Amino acid sequence: MRSVTETTLLKPPSVSMALRTLLRADTTVLLRNRQALGLSIVLPVAILFITGSGRRNQILDAGYLIGLSITYGLMAAGLFGYPMAVARDRESGVFQRMRVTPVPMWTVSVSRIVVQLVLSLVMSLVVLGLGGVRHHLTFTVANWLLVLLVSLLGAAVFLSIGQAVVGLTTTSGQVNAFSRVLFAVLLVVGLIGSTGLLGDTFRTVAGWTPVGALSNLYEWATGSATWGSNQTIGLVASLAYVVVFGYIGVRFFRWTVR
Amino acid sequence: MADQAGILEVEGLVVRYGTRTAVDGLDLSVERGEIFGLLGPNGAGKTSTLSAIEGLLTPAAGTVKVVGHDAARDPLSVRALIGVQLQASSFQAELTLTEILRLYAGLYGLTLSPDDVAGRLRRSGLQDEATKRYKQTSGGQQQRFSLLVAMLHDPPLLLLDEPTAGLDPQARRQLWSQIERARGEGGSILLTTHSMEEAQSVCDRVAIIDRGQLVALGTPAELVAVHKDDPRVLAAAHGDVTLEDVFIGLTGDEIRD
Repeated sequence: MRSVTETTLLKPPSVSMALRTLLRADTTVLLRNRQALGLSIVLPVAILFITGSGRRNQILDAGYLIGLSITYGLMAAGLFGYPMAVARDRESGVFQRMRVTPVPMWTVSVSRIVVQLVLSLVMSLVVLGLGGVRHHLTFTVANWLLVLLVSLLGAAVFLSIGQAVVGLTTTSGQVNAFSRVLFAVLLVVGLIGSTGLLGDTFRTVAGWTPVGALSNLYEWATGSATWGSNQTIGLVASLAYVVVFGYIGVRFFRWTVR
Repeated sequence: MADQAGILEVEGLVVRYGTRTAVDGLDLSVERGEIFGLLGPNGAGKTSTLSAIEGLLTPAAGTVKVVGHDAARDPLSVRALIGVQLQASSFQAELTLTEILRLYAGLYGLTLSPDDVAGRLRRSGLQDEATKRYKQTSGGQQQRFSLLVAMLHDPPLLLLDEPTAGLDPQARRQLWSQIERARGEGGSILLTTHSMEEAQSVCDRVAIIDRGQLVALGTPAELVAVHKDDPRVLAAAHGDVTLEDVFIGLTGDEIRD
């Protein structure tokens, strides 16, 4: 232990050092969480192959289907992976311990979000690559970059929703239940609504949902559609989701539940 | 000048949650090299006092200073000066003990070499657990590891919240040797405990608080000497008056939640 006269040496770390340290730890935790990794990478690939077969392939454009698959990957990470990890760490007291270290707690959140964003980008690249093979498409550099850009927006949308879920709940059980219902609703509305099987009105409504909005943006990013009203709606809706749910998530979030 | 002042100075501390007053004008100080016990029944205000010292809440009135730094105005600097072991906290279950040590070293602005990490784990008797994940370690190992992390940056003040709760006698003794070593190196320790025996045997001074107010302060022997003729204390005693009898006599024997 130090004597009192030596305590001038003890200072809070720089933000960059704190972030570096947290990013290393959060990346390690994520890579060891096979369930979260599987959900974020395997699920969208499975959806890519399921939706790419049969009559659905004729109804929906290949670019839209690839976008839909990426969107479900983003949704899995944002609605399950991220909020469940936060809720569990909050319950077990990990955050309580971190709160008494000399780093601002926003660095803890930023680190976790950055790790999730990187995972989302990796997943997007994997699905886009496999999607190109599956649907016999060749993407330009611009397509790849635009897909990454839309993926960043999409990850922000679902992480905001996940943050709102974990902000409005207190236990991991509640987060799990809430996220399951939300996931099922968004999955069904996005998938069925986008086919137009339930009519144009339902299709229009689906275009405003997170899944529909992002799928329309991906359709443009992959070069399957030109920019139109669907994409404008998709962009506006996505930004609105980020702002609204991000605000709710930050406003109501508590680091401890004890 | 800093050497003459207390490591921790709490003056007129008031903590309120809405209309409820959890700490009501508390004064106390912890000197260099001192083991100070903060005792009180459940709901007495111990946790609120610790939270104010950690800079986690803003007092309604009063000040908390750690080595001259105001905990409310400069919480990050204060947290750099204290090591904290919380009873109800944990570490990332998926990380190994080595990885957690590196993580917390970084959060305190330190870079540990592999030899540093190995040496610290060895001193806590955890060298064989270095590559084990936190969730794979036993309760006693987790408690020792928690203290090790609290002492990682050699802080001048350690805050320990019921450090030996749930430990077997061997683990408790080992933990106390760690704490004594920290004190021997010039550190000060503020601890909470429900074990009056432990407080009597290890604390240099104790403060008994109840309903947010200080009801007694002194060495365990002084408290027993001053209060041994108090009728409330005598009513609680079964033979020679102990610190526990003083505690029960001054805070009452009704169960608190």
